[in-house]
Amino acid sequence: MWKIAVAFVVFAGLALFILSKGGDIDMSGEKHGADATHSAPASEAASAPASSASK
Amino acid sequence: MATVTPRPMSQEEKKVIFASSLGTVFEWYDFYLYGSLAPIIAKQFFTGLDAGSAFIFALLAFAAGFIVRPFGALVFGRLGDMIGRKYTFLVTILIMGLSTFIVGILPNYTTIGVAAPVILIALRLLQGLALGGEYGGAATYVAEHAPQGKRGAYTSWIQTTATLGLFLSLMVILGTRTMIGEAAFADWGWRVPFIVSILLLAVSVYIRLSMNESPAFTKMKAEGKTSKAPLSESFGQWKNLKIVILALIGLTAGQAVVWYSGQFYALFFLTQSLKVDGATANIMIAVSLVIGTPFFVIFGALSDKIGRKPIIMAGCLLAVVTYFPVFTALTKAANPDLAAAQAANKVTVTADPKECSFQFNPTGTAKFTSSCDVAKQALANASVSYDNAVSAPGTPATIAVGSTMIPSYSVKGLSADDAKTKAAEFKKALDDALKAAGYPAKADMAKFDKVTVIAILTYLVILVTMVYGPIAAMLVELFPTRIRYTSMSLPYHIGNGWFGGLLPTTAFAIVAQTGNMYNGLWYPVIIAGMTFVIGMLFVKETKDVDIYAND
Repeated sequence: MWKIAVAFVVFAGLALFILSKGGDIDMSGEKHGADATHSAPASEAASAPASSASK
Repeated sequence: MATVTPRPMSQEEKKVIFASSLGTVFEWYDFYLYGSLAPIIAKQFFTGLDAGSAFIFALLAFAAGFIVRPFGALVFGRLGDMIGRKYTFLVTILIMGLSTFIVGILPNYTTIGVAAPVILIALRLLQGLALGGEYGGAATYVAEHAPQGKRGAYTSWIQTTATLGLFLSLMVILGTRTMIGEAAFADWGWRVPFIVSILLLAVSVYIRLSMNESPAFTKMKAEGKTSKAPLSESFGQWKNLKIVILALIGLTAGQAVVWYSGQFYALFFLTQSLKVDGATANIMIAVSLVIGTPFFVIFGALSDKIGRKPIIMAGCLLAVVTYFPVFTALTKAANPDLAAAQAANKVTVTADPKECSFQFNPTGTAKFTSSCDVAKQALANASVSYDNAVSAPGTPATIAVGSTMIPSYSVKGLSADDAKTKAAEFKKALDDALKAAGYPAKADMAKFDKVTVIAILTYLVILVTMVYGPIAAMLVELFPTRIRYTSMSLPYHIGNGWFGGLLPTTAFAIVAQTGNMYNGLWYPVIIAGMTFVIGMLFVKETKDVDIYAND
């Protein structure tokens, strides 16, 4: 069990380090509908956000 | 009740958990890839399409996530109950993995024209189908290898892969982007995360090929007792259908909304409502996930001792009772200026109610163009709480910020250029009025209380682990071996796909409709409340169930 704990801490630490260096990234999960097919931001004029995450 | 003899996990059992979890890591890895890389993929594959084709592709992309997955649960659940768990979830991972890999080498719209988005959408649909069978297979396979009294602990490892998949995708995407630069990443580097997934696939297939079929299924097959018609047995007989429905509304619906609220809505709330910059919000969420993830296993193991139901129901109840105060506390910790402005300044939208829509837009294809909708959406996006007042029929909506009046406008009948000009004028007038009223355009990082924010987010993740840690074991234990794969996969995917997946768009529509940025929480609160009541009344505890009793 301790090996898993150490591996998780190392893995998570590395991910956090890369995240802190790598800048902004969308972590809100898979996009569906127009969000998945439109390259422009969805906040044009009067369009509400489509469902963003589903699994 | 079977007797429980405590013993350490065997090497074979560890391998079973590892093999099953690798598949779900894959699922999550894909899930985050298609989120993080969505703008690039859209640009590469969909930019040349006309409006009509774009609309159809948007609907197909929506179907890939919301309709095909439950259908995949039926297709692969049926196969899993007829030919076996091992070969079925070998097929699901192969389809998922190869689809991901092919996206990485697929020529874009510029190269092969409309064939590019057609193939991409076909791959997404195929992937959605396979994904529908993956989780149920992993949970069933692990649970059927776990000793009595350990199923909660063993299956909970599968749930930790949500965090691992996220971190893996972050490392591959950000690592590649940092190494080759932003421009090259947008041009070709985005393909790397898809292509390297072939390594994960190779390892997964190799390990899964070396695994044995679940002992329960092998025994059943040897005795010729496997189901010949899992779908009609699962859903055509009220005795089982009743349990499927209860599993959906009494377990997975609540689990899904608590999970989505704790991770995705919390992130959305931080960035969109509280105007915290994306990079800081990501770090806050990631840290809370690191702290919270071990609780999946802790609550899974605890459920073997005190029961699945008390833990899942406690998670739902805590969500119902604490979401409003907790998200209010999050505002005070992350953006105290916004909390102060909301308390001090009254904003009113005066509009003809007939002009106001409920801005529910799950496919993202609807346009809300009336002056009322434009006004409410602008305020919802700016996290402004407002009152509603009724104007005379036919009059355009107005926004009152203190004593400043801002007339809204209707997009109907305007040319694209006029709409753009109007939107810019309206936005400037509104921004100026809100600024004067003390509404911050961005969260002031000097006043951002990191420790409190992380503590609050960790609490939300711990609620997620309470409802999600024991769920696989509980779903498995509700159904007999002959139809287990089919029966548990469908409520899981409908619960998580529909109840969870529609959370962001439903919450936004409620916020825009009512004028209070916390009102989006009513959606998870009501669904979790429904699950709590139905679960408490009708769902039976399963930890002591002998899952082979009726084989």
